[in-house]
Formats: sequence, C-alpha cells, structure tokens
Amino acid sequence: MIGDQLLNDFSVEATGLTKYFGDFKAVDAVSLAVPTGSIYGVLGPNGAGKTTSLRMTLGIIDPDEGTSRLLGGLKPQNVRSRIGYLPEERGLYPGMKAREAIAFMGALRGLDWSEGRRRAAAFMSELGLERVIDEKIRKMSKGMAQMVQLIGSIVHAPDLIVLDEPFSGLDPVNQERLEMIVRREQMRGATILFSTHVMAHAERLCDRIAIIARSARRFEGSVDEARALLPMQVRYTPREAGDAAAIAACLPSGAERRGDAWHFAIEDKDVEPLLARITASGHGVSGLSISRPALHDAFVHIVRQVDAGFDADATEDAIEEASA
Amino acid sequence: MTPILRNILVVARRDFLAIVATPAFLLFLLAPLFMVGMGLAGGVGASQLADSARGAERIVAIVDPADVEALRAADRRLRDAFRGPDAPPLLEVRLAGPTMIDPRTVAREKGADTYAVMSGPLVAPHIVERNADGLSGRYLALLASEALRDRAAGPVAPIAPRFESLRSGGASIAAQQSMGFGAVFVIFLLTLLLAGQTVSSLAEEKGNKVIEILAAAVPLETVFLGKLLGFLGVAVLFIAFWLAMAFGAGLVAATQFDPASLAAAGKAGKAADALASMPATGWPFFLGIGFAYFILSFLLLGAVFLGIGAQAATVREIQMLSLPITIFQVGMFSLSAAAAGAPDSGLARFAQIFPFSSPLAMAARAATDGDKAVHLLALGWQALWVALVIWIAVRLFRAGVLSGGGNWKFWARGNRA
Repeated sequence: MIGDQLLNDFSVEATGLTKYFGDFKAVDAVSLAVPTGSIYGVLGPNGAGKTTSLRMTLGIIDPDEGTSRLLGGLKPQNVRSRIGYLPEERGLYPGMKAREAIAFMGALRGLDWSEGRRRAAAFMSELGLERVIDEKIRKMSKGMAQMVQLIGSIVHAPDLIVLDEPFSGLDPVNQERLEMIVRREQMRGATILFSTHVMAHAERLCDRIAIIARSARRFEGSVDEARALLPMQVRYTPREAGDAAAIAACLPSGAERRGDAWHFAIEDKDVEPLLARITASGHGVSGLSISRPALHDAFVHIVRQVDAGFDADATEDAIEEASA
Repeated sequence: MTPILRNILVVARRDFLAIVATPAFLLFLLAPLFMVGMGLAGGVGASQLADSARGAERIVAIVDPADVEALRAADRRLRDAFRGPDAPPLLEVRLAGPTMIDPRTVAREKGADTYAVMSGPLVAPHIVERNADGLSGRYLALLASEALRDRAAGPVAPIAPRFESLRSGGASIAAQQSMGFGAVFVIFLLTLLLAGQTVSSLAEEKGNKVIEILAAAVPLETVFLGKLLGFLGVAVLFIAFWLAMAFGAGLVAATQFDPASLAAAGKAGKAADALASMPATGWPFFLGIGFAYFILSFLLLGAVFLGIGAQAATVREIQMLSLPITIFQVGMFSLSAAAAGAPDSGLARFAQIFPFSSPLAMAARAATDGDKAVHLLALGWQALWVALVIWIAVRLFRAGVLSGGGNWKFWARGNRA
C-alpha cells in the first residue's frame, strides 16, 4: 500500500475528459487522479467509457473537453517513453518472434534492442514461457501472446503502466502471475492504472478505484470506502428456533429468514444495540457473522442506481413526449 | 540520435525486415523478369522522342554575304548526292558581321541540334564539329570548296580547312531528350513497381491492432515516415540486386565473347548513340541526381498512397484504391514524358514544379539542361512536399480516429469501453 506522503503526488491528473462519438457522449467529464506509486483501478460495466477514458488520458485520442497531465504535469505526448500501455485489443505482429516483439515494443519506448532482447528472455523465463522465447507469435496460444504483450509493455521499466482489461482472456494461473507482476512493478516504484470489470482483481490489488458507469465517473475512493457505501450484512442463526415472530421482533425491519438463519443489513452504529437485543431475547446464538459487502456488491449497487436514474429519466421523457 | 529519428528507424527496421525476411520477397525480387515487355515499350517511346527531335538538326555556315548564294547553290546541288541516313542536316547560313561570332557558341545554342559550324574565309574555313568521325564537318568543307570552284569557273587550289572537335556541350539534343525520357521511364517504372505497396502498409497494423501500440508509443508522423523508409529500403535493395545482376551479366559477357565484336555491337544502334552522348549535367551528376529523384518520387507518391490506404477500412477498399492510384501514377508519367519531349515549354515548367511530377520532370531536365543548382532547389521543394503530405495524412488519420472511425473496429465506439 502507498504511503501518505505519496498521496499528494499524482502520476495521472486527468480533468473533465469528455468525448463525443457523433451525438453519443461516450465519456462525460471524467476526472482521474492517480497517486504516484499506487495501483489504481478503473471499474465499470461494458461500454461505460473506460477504454476511451484511458485512451484520452494517454493522448492516443484527443478529448473534446478536458485535459490530461502525466508524470509531473507533462503532456502525454512528452512522456511516451516513460509509459507502458497494454491496450484492450491485443495486437502483435504475428510473424515476429516473441523475443523480437518484446524488444520491438521496448525499442519504440527508447530501450536498446539488445537490452530489450535480454530482458525479454529473462521475463519470459520467469513466467515459465522460456520454451516459446523464439517462437513466432502466430504459433502461440492467445494467453501466451497476451503475456508476451504484457511483457512488451513493461520491458522498458516505465514509471506509469496502463493496462486495459489485462486479465481478460487469461486462465487463472496466468491471472495470478499477472497480479504478481503488477505488485512487483509497484514495488519497483511504478504507478499502475488498469481497467477491469472483474471486481476480484480490483479488490485484491487496488489502492484506489474509480467506478465509471453510463459514461461518467460515479465513485472515487479506496476499496473499503466503496464497500462502506452499503450497510454491513448480518447472518444470524438462533440457538433456539422458537417463535419466529418473537425473533423477528428483536431484529431490524427487513430481516429475512432463510432456513434456520436470518439475513439483514445494519448500519455500523447499530451493531452493539443489536448484540444487546439478541443477548437479552434469550434465543441464543448458534451462528453470527457481520461483514462488509464485497466490492462486487458495491459496484453492482452503484451501477444499478445509475441505471435506475437513467430509466426514470427515460420514462419521464417518454411521458413528456406522449403528453406533448 | 534524436528520439524522433530513433523512432522512425525502429519502425522502418521492423517493416524492412518483415518484408525482406519472407519467401514471398524472392518472388517480388524476380518479378521484373516479366517486365521486359514494358522495358521494350519504354525503348520504343525513347526512340520516337529521338525521331521527333530530328527536325532540329542542322549545320551552320557563317560566311561573307558575297559567299551566301554560292554556298546555297552548292548545297542544293550536293545534297541530292546524299540521301537516306547519310543525308547531311539542314544548312543554316549566317552572315559574318563586323563582330566575330564564336562557332563554339553557335554549336552550343539551345533549341537546335548543331552538328558542325563553319566560319572564316572559304579558302581556309574553321570547322567546329561535334563528332570528328561524322560527315557533317566534311560536308561543310566540301560546300566551301564547291562554292569557290563555282565562282572561279575553273580549277582552284584545294582549300585548307581547320577542323576542331567540340568535346563538350555539343551532345545531341535528340540523345539528351532520349536520356531524359529514359530517366522519366525508369523512375516511373520503379515507383510503379515499388511505391504502390505502401497503400496497404497500415492495413497490417489496423488488422492486427498494433496501431494502438504504435500510436501510444510514438508520434504517428514517425510511424508513417518509418514505414515509408522501410519500404524505401526494400526498393533500394531491389534496385541494388538488379544492378548487381546486370553488372554480373556484363562481366560474364566480357569473358565469353570476343572483345572486338562486343565493341562493334556496342557502337551500333541508337542506344549506343545515346550512351556515347553526354547528359547536359554529365554522367556522374545525372546518375546521382536521378537516384535522388527516384527517392523523392518514391517518398512523395508513397506518402500519398500510405495516407490514402490509412483511410481504407477493409482490404477490399484497398484493392479498389489500387486503380485510381495507378492512374495517378500514369498521369504523372505522361506529364513528365511530355515535358521530356519539350524541355523548354510551359508544360515542362509546370511538370517540374508540380510536386508529384517534379522528380520525374526534373530528372529529365538534368539530361538536357546543364544548370545544376536548380536541382538542389527542386530536391528541397519535393522534400517539403513529402513532409506536407505526411502531415496531412496523419491529420486525416487522427481525424478518422477522433470522429469515432465509423467502421474501424479499433476505434469504433460500440462496446468499446
């Protein structure tokens, strides 16, 4: 995890990024501030605007509004050699050998060819890919090629690594390897910004996250802060089944019985009063778990809220249109 | 090395190796064997140009007014005796004035193909001739002798002509125009064969999605220029291969045949005449500048094709673009070929200035005009246009990107993010 002293030092400062594709507003005033040395996740459902936001952040496409400054307030075009980028749509020259492909990607960022080849071999050996070092890309599996491209995006030891959906298409073993690489790059001092819609990776890796839905940023903060958006979930199993109505009376409203257990949500401040009521009720405690919701739940909650707002707006518009 | 240059070379190196290190490149390299027919067509064109310039051939006599009629009468009488290929060029008579006219200057006058110039008294004429083995100088001497004999109405002492061979600046205009056309044709042919490939160059990157990696890593201008240079490297390799083959064939011929018969064969024919003549700027400069113009022609047209190809979304679109691209190339060739046939015309000036025909037309000019400094200007002008075309092509490419790219999957907005 990053130290507090780094929180005021941002490797990515994107402000108000907006992009139209025709009449469609693909990205609506998205801002990102990625602390130096952190692992930062951009989460969102398919089509939310993650990839377009990252492309604008890196200067690959120009925003219609907003600015992006990287690595100390510099324009993206001026710090290309200090950035590593794995695009969502994987791309390699099929006729190139893996080692050459990695060295080529390093050379594009200013790394010497021979050093690039040496590092390529070292990386591939470390990831168990030594037998395909001199294999052509077209002969490799999709997952292998993806790992080659990942190595190519970090072979020049960049200060900022941007990975767009890096886990998609990888088997669990390679996903774990990728997580290891991301953590190691952070230890080296790099800042990592990646997008995903798989919450488990973000939950394990990210220091901070931004959730983008319907083209706009809907949340920014730590994983814990995201999870805290929802009340804690309680699963209570009384020792004595007894009178269900009596048990329900000492639990918060909305408690739902599933088999022997009761499920309900409570606010942080209500934990101690709940425990006191259960103890006083005499029904006993056979099982009790109080836990924060997972990031997955928080994400779904946020996205559904946004969708509900859009649906309500659409309904209003339809009514207005009909009445007009 | 600057980062930009380094990036250009990285992209160029990748493209060069990607093309050369394939079996298909061998087929590409040997393809010119099928182009012999086109070479013959070029030869016929050059020959026709040489024929068209034949009307400008002349011999000049600078004589006293009193000798004019006698000289013309002798010419009318003697010319009938020389017919066919031995017929002397038309006689142009000029009056000798109080100021001395330098016959060498007359021999080098533009707009006419001067074979010999006679000046001085008819009894001891000074004859400047381009070819010491040719008949033109002797014909002028014969005219002088006949004119004196007519006027004397009886035997006269033999005249004492003084012959001077004009070593430089007196090359045949027809031969120089042929050289100019040859330069146009060779550069056009090589550009047609080699530069057209650039149209599909970016299709590879768009197809395999590498374009996003390139766009993120380096300025697109360096990608475009790097690709052009990579293809130029392939073209130069191609040319070097065939030059080496030709040189090798020449060496083999030299060891297999009788040197005397080879020399005799070499002296025969119009091609030999052209080779024996000197381009106006001299052979070393002409060949060097011709190569430089080939490079500029390749880069100019290649940049246009690359830019057009970058806008194509599918292979089918690229195939459809091939026809207008070929027509464009042929158009530039036609313009430049016409310019080669009329070096001092307005059309030639236009072809020399219009950026896409400029390399061809200026190469032709190097054959007929001795001014060398203008080529430096032309190269700079053409290089400027290469940069301009690449700049525009990149802007259009980025504009396609920024507008959402329509049917480009890479840039398409649908389910992208």
